Amino acid sequence: MIAALGVKTIQDIINAGHFGRFAWRSVVTSARSCTASRTYPLVWSQMNLIGVRSVPVIMITGAFVGMTLAVQAYDQLAGMGLEEHLGTLINISVVKELGPVLAAVMLAGRIGGALTAELGTMNVTEQIDAVRSMGTDPIRYLVAPRFLACLLLTPVLIIYADLLGVIGGALVSFLQFGINSRAYWDLSAYGVDFWDVSVGVVKGFFFGGAIAIISCYKGFTCEEGAQGVGQACTEAFVGSFISILALDFALAVISKHLYAIFWPLKSLVG
Amino acid sequence: MDGNGEQHGSTHNGGIIEVRRLTKRFGAKLVLDNVSLSVEKGKTTVIIGPSGCGKTVLIKHFIVLVRPSEGQVCFEGRRVDNLGEWELSEVRTRFGYLFQEGALFDSMTVAENIVFPIRQNYKVKNWDEVEDIVKAKLAMVGLDGFQNHYPARLSGGQRKRVALARAIALNPEVILYDEPTTGLDPIRSDIINELILKLERELGVTTVVVTHDMKSAYKVADRIIMLHNGKIIADGDADHIRNHPHPVVQQFINGHVGEDDLAILRMTGSAGSAQFLPRDFEQ
Repeated sequence: MIAALGVKTIQDIINAGHFGRFAWRSVVTSARSCTASRTYPLVWSQMNLIGVRSVPVIMITGAFVGMTLAVQAYDQLAGMGLEEHLGTLINISVVKELGPVLAAVMLAGRIGGALTAELGTMNVTEQIDAVRSMGTDPIRYLVAPRFLACLLLTPVLIIYADLLGVIGGALVSFLQFGINSRAYWDLSAYGVDFWDVSVGVVKGFFFGGAIAIISCYKGFTCEEGAQGVGQACTEAFVGSFISILALDFALAVISKHLYAIFWPLKSLVG
Repeated sequence: MDGNGEQHGSTHNGGIIEVRRLTKRFGAKLVLDNVSLSVEKGKTTVIIGPSGCGKTVLIKHFIVLVRPSEGQVCFEGRRVDNLGEWELSEVRTRFGYLFQEGALFDSMTVAENIVFPIRQNYKVKNWDEVEDIVKAKLAMVGLDGFQNHYPARLSGGQRKRVALARAIALNPEVILYDEPTTGLDPIRSDIINELILKLERELGVTTVVVTHDMKSAYKVADRIIMLHNGKIIADGDADHIRNHPHPVVQQFINGHVGEDDLAILRMTGSAGSAQFLPRDFEQ
């Protein structure tokens, strides 16, 4: 029992080391690829697959987040006679937390699974070895374009999710609950800073990078056979999901401290 | 015959590829055990042995697709197994590798597959010239006109020939063939054998073939090496192998099942007990 636990612990440490090395090489190679013009077409095609085709699903996610928040929060605020503050509550929740996190989770499912399945199939059919055998670094050819596309487009997709979340929340507030739109928007503008929007968008870089690296790593290391590829996809999604939540927590703590450093008075009042 | 004795005798100093005391383990499994060999430039070396004996793992070491657990791999006298991926890129462009299943990129056409190594390693300015190269490479394997086909629409033999055209796209000095005739009918197999000889003759390349097809081995080999349980047990020309005294070599080249294999069949049950049908179970 203890021996088995020890073996598993050692194996987990080795795997963590392999993942760390893969992540480091991916980041360094991607940084180098930014200056290599022959990488641009690869990045461009990945941006189309990862970004453009994800817009509808991300917008739907954002809209439902905003609408659901409006329905859930109205009764509590109306009970205190604060229903006109509904906009502040919805919009700050959407732009700072729920928009980025749920958009990233949606991307982890849509993009992460597809990346792992594609690279996993290439791995088990020796196509990745074929890339290497022809003198091409598979990290540069396969991982860097996907990493860069996720890194650059996740923040943009989060803006779409935020936008639709704000619109969805406002529509439910106006049409279903009859809240005065002027007061709704005025109080929202007062309560939601540029900083709040920025924190949510910046999270997108971290979420996008994490989804790409975890998904590519799982694809590169997946076991043989259809079951191996399927299992790698599941592990990629679970790993991405947990990473998104952990990064969200870490970034929330960091952003809070940064806010206190840059705007000490505001943070005291807020 | 002592396996190690034959192994040490097989090291020809000054070969284009040299493997020194190579050991490879995957976890607890020992796949290659202290193997040493040298591949002579301009010749065809065939590595034979039963499935799972480490043949593919051995040639993957030649271009460092797999790193050794112990020992060294040298190309033209320079140690390569300890190089980083970026340094290895230059070495790998001097090899062509035909994978067992072809490993063609299924999202690309035949032409795009062949252009891939050219595009990745050179700055292409004249695409007409590249088109001519693709045409010439495909003509060499008898598939000119298949440029716009996708690999999924090709037969097994055609896929291997396209993979071969891609392997020779960069005019390599060494071509490594991993089971080039496996899964092909005898005529398609012979076409591949003829191609191997043609490329050796016309391009003057060094050839290493991994196979368990003895007909193919006798046809193309200048030298045959036999691996068994991760060790070299025989090394010489076709006649040397035909007359080799080692019983495992004779058993393999003649395709006779051994007593050990028969014993496994006897131990694992009778044919009668494997005749269950659904009606034998309760509905």
